[in-house]
Amino acid sequence: MTDVDTSEYADVWVFVEEHAGDVMPVSWELLEEGRKLAEKTDEELVALVIGEGVDAVAEEAIARGADRALVADDPVFEPYRADPYGAQFRAMVEEYKPSIALIGGTHTGRDFAGRVAVPTHAGLTADVTEIDVDDEGILQARRPAFGGDILATIICEDHRPQMATIRPGVFEAAEPDRDREGEIERAEVAVEEAETVSEVLEREVGDTADITEAERIVAVGHGVEGELGPALELAEALDAELAASRAAVDEGWIDGSRQVGQTGKTVRPELYVAVGISGAIQHLEGMNNSGTVIAINNDPNAPIFEHADYGYVGDFAAVCPELAEKLADGKPMEVTR
Amino acid sequence: MTWTIVVGVKQVPDDDEIGIDPDTGRLDRASAPAVMNPPDRDALEAALSIADEVDARVVAMTMGPPMATPVLEEAVAMGCDDAVLITDRAFAGSDTWPTSLTLARAAEALDADVVVCGEETTDSSTGQVPPGIAAHNGWAQLTYVEELEPDPEGGRLIATRDVEGGHERVAAELPVVVAVAYGEFEARPAGLHRKIYAENDFEPAQLTAEELGIADEVGLAVSPTAVGGMETVEPVERRGEVVDDVDGLVEPIRGVET
Amino acid sequence: MSAILDGRVGDAAIEEPNYDGEFDAVVVGAGLAGSAAALTMADRGLEVLLIERGSSPGAKNVFGGVLYTPTIRELVDLEDAPLERYVAEKRFSMLSHDDETALSISPGEWRREPHNDSYTVLRGEFDEWFAEQAVDAGATLVTETTVTGLLREGREVVGVETDRPDGGVEAPYVVLAEGANSLVGEGANLKATESRENVAVAAKEVLEFPNGENVIEDRFRLFGDAGVSYHYFGEGAVGEAFGGGFIYTNGDTVSVGVAYRLEDAAANDQSPEETLNLFKSHPRVAPLLRDARTVEYSAKTIPEGGAESVPDLAHDGAVIVGDAAGLVLNNGVHLEGTNMAVESGYHAGRVIADANARGRTDADALEAYGRALEESFVVKNLERYAWLQETVEEDRELLFETMPTAFADAGAEYFRMDREPKAEHASRAKRAVVDALGGWRGLAKLALRYRKVVT
Ligand SMILES: Cc1cc2nc3c(=O)[nH]c(=O)nc-3n(C[C@H](O)[C@H](O)[C@H](O)COP(=O)(O)OP(=O)(O)OC[C@H]3O[C@@H](n4cnc5c(N)ncnc54)[C@H](O)[C@@H]3O)c2cc1C
Ligand SMILES: Cc1cc2nc3c(=O)[nH]c(=O)nc-3n(C[C@H](O)[C@H](O)[C@H](O)COP(=O)(O)OP(=O)(O)OC[C@H]3O[C@@H](n4cnc5c(N)ncnc54)[C@H](O)[C@@H]3O)c2cc1C
Ligand SMILES: Nc1ncnc2c1ncn2[C@@H]1O[C@H](COP(=O)(O)O)[C@@H](O)[C@H]1O
Repeated sequence: MTDVDTSEYADVWVFVEEHAGDVMPVSWELLEEGRKLAEKTDEELVALVIGEGVDAVAEEAIARGADRALVADDPVFEPYRADPYGAQFRAMVEEYKPSIALIGGTHTGRDFAGRVAVPTHAGLTADVTEIDVDDEGILQARRPAFGGDILATIICEDHRPQMATIRPGVFEAAEPDRDREGEIERAEVAVEEAETVSEVLEREVGDTADITEAERIVAVGHGVEGELGPALELAEALDAELAASRAAVDEGWIDGSRQVGQTGKTVRPELYVAVGISGAIQHLEGMNNSGTVIAINNDPNAPIFEHADYGYVGDFAAVCPELAEKLADGKPMEVTR
Repeated sequence: MTWTIVVGVKQVPDDDEIGIDPDTGRLDRASAPAVMNPPDRDALEAALSIADEVDARVVAMTMGPPMATPVLEEAVAMGCDDAVLITDRAFAGSDTWPTSLTLARAAEALDADVVVCGEETTDSSTGQVPPGIAAHNGWAQLTYVEELEPDPEGGRLIATRDVEGGHERVAAELPVVVAVAYGEFEARPAGLHRKIYAENDFEPAQLTAEELGIADEVGLAVSPTAVGGMETVEPVERRGEVVDDVDGLVEPIRGVET
Repeated sequence: MSAILDGRVGDAAIEEPNYDGEFDAVVVGAGLAGSAAALTMADRGLEVLLIERGSSPGAKNVFGGVLYTPTIRELVDLEDAPLERYVAEKRFSMLSHDDETALSISPGEWRREPHNDSYTVLRGEFDEWFAEQAVDAGATLVTETTVTGLLREGREVVGVETDRPDGGVEAPYVVLAEGANSLVGEGANLKATESRENVAVAAKEVLEFPNGENVIEDRFRLFGDAGVSYHYFGEGAVGEAFGGGFIYTNGDTVSVGVAYRLEDAAANDQSPEETLNLFKSHPRVAPLLRDARTVEYSAKTIPEGGAESVPDLAHDGAVIVGDAAGLVLNNGVHLEGTNMAVESGYHAGRVIADANARGRTDADALEAYGRALEESFVVKNLERYAWLQETVEEDRELLFETMPTAFADAGAEYFRMDREPKAEHASRAKRAVVDALGGWRGLAKLALRYRKVVT
């Protein structure tokens, strides 16, 4: 079995996820949080950038807090595929030996993380919502377990790196500081196109809304039956972002980037209005950090009412427009954005 | 060529039956009956739908105690040709690393061309096992899959994957591990005669860690991660006030300072 | 395939399993009647397929209730059965809108084994256990499968059709044990749809007491496994409808419900749920339920046509048992269906086993089942009370409105505390009852009319 000398491993890595130059916001959230870990362990914070033509991304990573950026730049990495990403990341881990590696818990992050952790026999904790590091440099990765009722702390004492995929939206990103200085280092590209076992035939990415930053959210669920008009009207009156439960996303009514919950995003708006959402535990997990929660549902026994501050029992199609009108009537809402 | 499609299914406590204890506001899991992990039904459906299109044999596998046999019976009832129970005391305490190793070795032993898994389990919810299987065997992988198109001539499986903000179509060479997106493949009902057969007359084959040659590579000792502690999370306090008219919502909304 | 698995995978599963003709009998519904029939046949060596639509037997079953065990005790060992409490007290109450006049019966004998064969049970647990006994005896149970119709060859029933793909299965005998809402039997014209006046609706809740220990024991004056069955009639129970309310104590919960004629329910434009809520808030009922929390709500129909609406029980290749056959005694004093369901299932199973041994499936051969029921308490009891429904209907206002008030007034009068001599009170009390019930002649007639309820 792999006996590792943990003392050979140092530094905190943050994987910066980019697709065709667009960086997933969670990457910046992780840089800010990784900074805190690196300061505690007195190590370097390293941004890992994999892609094609990603110098600007590497520079931004420095501005966002990285001490160093390790860049693997090659056409084989665009668009993303699990096998080349996994192989490249693994090669870099084996060469540079990071102690901690943080990856955003996006579909991409969760797709390739296992391809790194398995061959390196690293400890990988999925879907983490809190992180810390102890005096010995052991990562304390906390994640909801048993339906969010319990926060389990997962540790990895004897294996390195200590990897975690982290749920988008749980941390806040810092603003970039253009004056920050850091080293950008090119890593050897360890993958060849001929070795890959997959091929991207088409890729279409449209709506990549970031609901994690929204101050107000109107979220729709399966109860709206595809009729978005009333909720949109309310969202407009509130100047709110539209979000959705997974059931609404699965139906194709709303794009997946707007999904709230365990396998979607964690949001923290001041106001969260749940429209036609039953209140399944996996959904609640993503909205629990909201300020005031309002629920509109036509079933008085819907669990959402227990997890809302104010609820109203009624048909969304009538309630949303009425509420929108009443809100518009009075003094205009202050909008600070 | 006949494809062998292996489906990973797992038994979990039934989420729907997990009542919330109104006194503590906590979930009461202990009393919940064991059921098939709901996303694994999607996996079964996806596997069977490939078999509808190409010449294929579908075999379900589960790593778990003999008590988990009912999930295999359900799989056979739905239409799987056979099922394997991978069971051994040596597996106790396995995290995703040895779990995916075990399933990877079993998939190899079964000569799998395609392994289909669910998105994640409702009890450990890591979603790491499918990529883990692929990594252990060095196979291709396709996760968050919403549609599948077998390409037997090309020896490939083509999938439409959900990526943040959109979709992509990816072709992967066989053997490949697929994790299907939950909710995208609605499971077919079991036929009456298959259901009677699966529940009463079918016995799954059994496999041990020894037989897979991994007796020393599974269990607690090789699991890199460990639970360092558990804290109960206080349920978020909410007012839980149901108002009588829409006006009752206006004030609280206005009251939200931004 | 690798060496380690050679021959072990791929051979186990058979291509297309087919069970047509593999079973001697198919039982539709794993309620009490169905499981009793399945158990009886399996015990006699028949291959039995027991089909239940719920996720488990009893999962969907609504019931008061008290399980009456004289027959079931003969079929299985009740030692490990999930019984809640034995009935130590039966109490009959007349409720007006704010009075109660009650009679309580609690013989010492009921506190001793076998407790008068009356136990409260939760059907979700009991039915599952009972079906398990049938499976242990060799029956095959499939759940989550709804029978949608019967397979026929000419007049002969030769199997059932289900909602599953490839869903028909052939067998020589079919036992219809689908309960009161017997869509299969009706759909196949083996029985007529119950007329509205012969159907009661029931609404029931299971309540628990989150605060405090021993609430049930203290409130209902109980020790150990003792329990009560409280029956209520009069307008305070179910308004003007013909029927009543009930409270039964389970282990840690109580079952509270109302059951009344469907016709009245439709006429009253009040939902069973609303009726139940009114009953629960009656000043004499509410204190028993104080601080209770509802853990389960359900509603259902009960056949109450009595002996006359029992359909033909035997057909070519099929028999009807339990509630599906209308075998329920529901007359206000008695609400008994469980004992009849088990008794009928047992006789049906026995008769099919006999017929099977002789290679007969025709109605004539199965007729022995109907005869056995006629000789048993089942039909005798139903016949005995057959007249009651009609008579009660005629006296409805008198029985459910006038009488509860009259008795309450009489009681109030008889025990009145003032400075008048008791003789005055007594005669006024007597007059309150006599006048309300139509004078002495009226009273005598009434006593004659209803004497059979208790004699
Ligand atoms: C592994 C896993 C991960 C998951 N991850 C997530 C996740 O990240 N996010 C998530 O949201 N879910 C997630 N789920 C799914 C979750 O369990 C629920 O199935 C989902 O949240 C239900 O969505 P819903 O409330 O919109 O739909 P439903 O549960 O169908 O509820 C619809 C609601 O609308 C109400 N309604 C109907 N008509 C009207 C009307 N006219 N007016 C008003 N109200 C009406 C109904 O009363 C009902 O309460 C996950 C599940 C699994 C197994
Ligand atoms: C509120 C209420 C209170 C009662 N209280 C009492 C009491 O205190 N004491 C007493 O002795 N009796 C009582 N009864 C009557 C008693 O419940 C019934 O007489 C008894 O349950 C009848 O048993 P059964 O097996 O015939 O039918 P059921 O218990 O109704 O069982 C029928 C079974 O068949 C299944 N089924 C139905 N249709 C199909 C189908 N198409 N395919 C597959 N499965 C099907 C059902 O899911 C069910 O499991 C009460 C009834 C009610 C409604
Ligand atoms: N013990 C197991 N046996 C069979 N398949 C499993 C097992 N554990 C996980 N899987 C498969 O892997 C998927 C993801 O599981 P997880 O990584 O635990 O969230 C599940 O949906 C299953 O298809």
